[in-house]
Amino acid sequence: MTQATFNRALRPLALASLAAALLCATSAKAEERPIVIGGSVSITGALAVDAAYHLHGLQQGIEDANAQGGWLGRKIELKYYDDKSDAGTAVRLYTKLITEDNVDLVIGPYSSGITQAVAPLINKYEKVMIEPEASVPDIYVPGNLWNVQGIAPSLGYLEGVLPLAKSHGAKTVAVLALKSAFSLACDKARLEQVKALDMSLVYDTTYALPQPDFSSLALAIKNAQPDVVVVCSYYPDAVGIAQALQRAGYAPKFFAEAIGPAEDEFTKALGPIANRIISNTSWWASLKTAGNAAFIAHYKATFHQDPDYHAASGYGAIQALGAALNAVKAIDQAKLHDWLLHNEVQTVQGTFANDPNGAAKKFNQYLFQIQDGTRKLIWPLADAEAPAQIPYTGQ
Amino acid sequence: MLVLQILINGLLLGGMYILLAQGLNLVFGVMGVVNLAHGAIITVAGLFTFWFATHTQLNPLVLLPVVFVAMLAIGALLQRSLLEPLAGVGRKSELLSLMITFGLSYVLVEIGLDVFGSQYVSLPNLQTTWSLGGLTINEALVAAGVLGAAISGALQIWLRHTDSGKCLLATSQNRIGAVACGIDVSRMRCIAFAIGSSLAAAAGVLIIMVIPLAAQTADSLTILAFVVVALGGLGDYRGAALAAVVLGIAQSAVGYYGGGDAESVVPYLLFILFMILRPQGLGRAVQAQ
Amino acid sequence: MSFERDTLGRQLRNRLTPAAAAFPSRGRQAYRAVAGLTMLAVLAVAPLLSSGYVLQLATDILTFVALAYSWNLISGFTGYVSFGQVTFFGMGAYATAVMVLHTPIPWYLAIPIAVLLAAMAALLLGAVMLRLRGIMFALGMLGLARILAVVAANWSFAGGAVGLTLPAQLTPNAVYAGAWAAALIAFGLNAFYMRSGLGLSAMGVRDDEGAAQALGVATGRVKILTFVLSALAPAAVGGLVAWNRSFIDPTSAFDPNMDLQLVVFTLFGGIGTLWGPLLGTLVLMLVGEQLWAYVPELQLALYGGLVIVVVLAFPGGMVGLANRFGWLLRRPIFAPRSFPAAIVPPPAPPSRPPDDTILEVRDLSVHFRGIVALDTLSFDVRRGESVSILGANGAGKTTLFNAVTGFVVPSEGSILYQDRPVAGLAPFQRARQGIARTFQIPRLMESMTVWENVLLAAQHGRLSRRALEQTAWALHITGLAPMWLESIARLTPGQQRRLELARSLALGPTLVLLDEVMAGMTRDEQEEIRGVLRRLPEFGVAAVAGIEHVISAIADISDRMIVLDHGKKIAEGAPAAVLRDPVVIQSYLGEVR
Repeated sequence: MTQATFNRALRPLALASLAAALLCATSAKAEERPIVIGGSVSITGALAVDAAYHLHGLQQGIEDANAQGGWLGRKIELKYYDDKSDAGTAVRLYTKLITEDNVDLVIGPYSSGITQAVAPLINKYEKVMIEPEASVPDIYVPGNLWNVQGIAPSLGYLEGVLPLAKSHGAKTVAVLALKSAFSLACDKARLEQVKALDMSLVYDTTYALPQPDFSSLALAIKNAQPDVVVVCSYYPDAVGIAQALQRAGYAPKFFAEAIGPAEDEFTKALGPIANRIISNTSWWASLKTAGNAAFIAHYKATFHQDPDYHAASGYGAIQALGAALNAVKAIDQAKLHDWLLHNEVQTVQGTFANDPNGAAKKFNQYLFQIQDGTRKLIWPLADAEAPAQIPYTGQ
Repeated sequence: MLVLQILINGLLLGGMYILLAQGLNLVFGVMGVVNLAHGAIITVAGLFTFWFATHTQLNPLVLLPVVFVAMLAIGALLQRSLLEPLAGVGRKSELLSLMITFGLSYVLVEIGLDVFGSQYVSLPNLQTTWSLGGLTINEALVAAGVLGAAISGALQIWLRHTDSGKCLLATSQNRIGAVACGIDVSRMRCIAFAIGSSLAAAAGVLIIMVIPLAAQTADSLTILAFVVVALGGLGDYRGAALAAVVLGIAQSAVGYYGGGDAESVVPYLLFILFMILRPQGLGRAVQAQ
Repeated sequence: MSFERDTLGRQLRNRLTPAAAAFPSRGRQAYRAVAGLTMLAVLAVAPLLSSGYVLQLATDILTFVALAYSWNLISGFTGYVSFGQVTFFGMGAYATAVMVLHTPIPWYLAIPIAVLLAAMAALLLGAVMLRLRGIMFALGMLGLARILAVVAANWSFAGGAVGLTLPAQLTPNAVYAGAWAAALIAFGLNAFYMRSGLGLSAMGVRDDEGAAQALGVATGRVKILTFVLSALAPAAVGGLVAWNRSFIDPTSAFDPNMDLQLVVFTLFGGIGTLWGPLLGTLVLMLVGEQLWAYVPELQLALYGGLVIVVVLAFPGGMVGLANRFGWLLRRPIFAPRSFPAAIVPPPAPPSRPPDDTILEVRDLSVHFRGIVALDTLSFDVRRGESVSILGANGAGKTTLFNAVTGFVVPSEGSILYQDRPVAGLAPFQRARQGIARTFQIPRLMESMTVWENVLLAAQHGRLSRRALEQTAWALHITGLAPMWLESIARLTPGQQRRLELARSLALGPTLVLLDEVMAGMTRDEQEEIRGVLRRLPEFGVAAVAGIEHVISAIADISDRMIVLDHGKKIAEGAPAAVLRDPVVIQSYLGEVR
């Protein structure tokens, strides 16, 4: 090898070391007067729409807490980065928030999948993290000590559908589920529920996204003639399956889909087909939970849109965190964690209370139905705004 | 009756696939370029249609000719500025144009995300379902299938019975021969890409009424279209139509009997199996027998 | 428009003169090696001393460097662009995770075992997938990754769609060290590869797979071997990342966006180069990290736009750009400092009787979908003999050559080479046994130097001292020695023909099939070729030349002439007699005159 070649060979290395040196130099600490809460948010990517509600919920929660004088007499600030709906990026960002930005507290990201990827990291750095958008049960196990669930577990998604249907005489059930963490948990729970309620399961399957064609699944459902169709879905498949069922010319008496029907785009996409579809939520505007009316009013004023349950769980997580901090009176991760597991907080979402593994145990699940373009709470009957309209017509 | 219904479902699905794949095939046939931005064009056109229809309350089908013509111009512009400089660098050009359209697809998808958001959308037009003696047929799928077939037929007639079409076909069959015959091959490439993009955009306008689309679905549409084209034999127009129907029926049958997971693997599995066993494509394989 | 060719030409002009290739002293080299290692060490230790984030970023960069280098092997050198290297990443991640969770195997053994498993999978998959070409292979790999994602999602033992949470066994420092190892190994693999016979063969496959076969390159083996090598680092990195994140699921293990990043990074740095993957990954990841803090919503669009700009403006990437200033040049493979002064001729041909028949063609017919290209053709060629085959365009000359060299399967009849049937032998096997050919339109390896073009044929799949001698000899007798380090684009058409001839002679053949070897040449150029052809008998080489036009130039050096018309032999004999044959004049020459 010639001298010149070797010189040239070293040039990229020199550049790289320069770059590394620059990076080290920029990692200087910032002034930390306010209490900084750090988190990643899916600003872009597949989860951006729902994640925006999550972010707004957090922001509103912090704004309201600051309006009441902050925590421990200090102002609260949210520091967040875009994780691009990507788990790997989120892991890097949480590392950055904890080790470089030295945030005081961390808050969970949007979606169960991303939280699952971040959870081990939180454990490693021993930071208590309320996870307002991670509904899957798998995170809250003894090995994952520092994770505290801030949303109703996905086992409870569509929980009321089968009892409701049974009370109207329905006997046969079809269950479909998307292959993703939360929907499979929902799937498992519903399949068990079918047995427990002594109903008969006539069809079940799982599918993966993206799947443009649901016509053969719809045909199989039509063939099985179930009274109830339960779909543990995200948004696109919720739309696709409703379209496919209508195209197959089949309308079950009860048609319930998990995530999707809450969005405005759902009714835009489906038109009259969307009418009388049942879905679930862990929060509703009409509920008399702690601070709910104020939350809705402030949120509407700030963001000029109605909050949804993602916003409510984000807001509720901040409420719970504030309660813990005001009780512990110090930013002490272990004490905060301990307090959260042993105390209850009344939030807009209901009672924030967790079992020793961190799983939420007192949030309620509700059902709503799309009734002529508006969404009405129909279950549990005690909170219902309107009676369920039966049957689903598919027109 | 059940088998018949599965066949009909498959046929209609196949019609939609023809719609998706036609433009990609034309571009490949004439330019030897696999346009990886094909799905992005479909998606952006579909999202635009959704935006238009929800804001104006007009029937989205009125957009079809407008989008088609607009895309002709955009397609020609893209071909002239991005792809034409690469034509004629020999073996390298295939790889380089693949990279260009790869980059283009990401640019389009991001524009789609920024302008229209990441939400899946669909339009509730064409929702009538007909019942014929126990068989059910849906208007949207029929519209997509019929239009797919119609566009395919029109393309065939144009390619085989008009002078400009024959020039294009000749270019796709033998580039050097076409040059020798005095055909302006560079112009043919431009026309092919413009029409190919327009076909993609037209597909987008229709597809938004059939399945939910979002900016991020672009990739899977490109792959689906490519699988159809590859199964039919690259650049083989009738083969692609046949492949679309075969794929549609296979997916319907597998989906019915094997469930959703099995169905989603069908295109890829068929593709790999076919490329190894019958690399010349379905169309030519059938012709040879 | 010319791309890499131009760059290479400049590179060779600027740098690869024998004078520039002088070696430094050992002392200097050692000094520089120490300096380089120190710099590496500083680079390696710096992130360990800073925050976890820098460590994480450095780990991510190293992981991508390793991945980009692996992608570069298969896509940059063999030209088989893969959109699914994430397949091996996912396999490595899953294999490691499953082993550690379900067996007593510790992680430091699990990762090497996972790499081994991925290599075996690559061997099997490569045998199937590499039969696909171009875009088919690219998208076939993409499809494969998707299929595996679905398989993983349905495999409950591996966590199914929910994924697997792994106990945090590895500290970030250990992962970082592992990433360094993977990056260094992947880099070393590239450096070694691109200076090896395997790398040379792979570049032959990239430039012209068919021609490479004709030069004795076992293209299938080269591709599969490269594919296996390109699977190693992704599998190792997959195992490391699984531990680093303590969580894997099908979507993140088989994420197609990873391949987008590999394509962008490598292309930006310079595809098929030694420094390109490193530069591209480093620059884009560091810039990207800053960029996306300001314009998060545009990151992918900027990446996409960057690909377009790079392809249009500087297709060689950063390395291509650097080459213009004479930096980061590729060194010709196994080129000595200066052209060897002592020419070693090939070993003398075995002393067998001169009328020893080496090629027997018996009743050979070739049909293409009903068109008869060759019709029951029979003839013999003896050792050292010079036979010319005369025929108009479409008479069947090229088809005959293709049948003899194995590019076309005969419909009927047999071909015996040195008394053994050649049916069933691949083109590269026939080439290695001594059947060489040239092409009607020269098919030279455009990204290689003259030297490398010939060496590719001489190496017979393995670089040896003999191969270097054979290369020097072939260049010497074809008169190409003075331009041995030129790029192909700078050769005249006549020199290109001679280079084709040199390549075929470098195989050490007993039979050379020359397809239109003098077409389109000036009289001087023809004379140069004739000079080489006249000397063939002394090396024991028989020549069969297919010709259409330049009959006079070949007639006087031919022992025998065969005339083909529409696939049928219509005359055979001494050139003078054949050219006077009325049948020949009527059917062939009559039309010309």
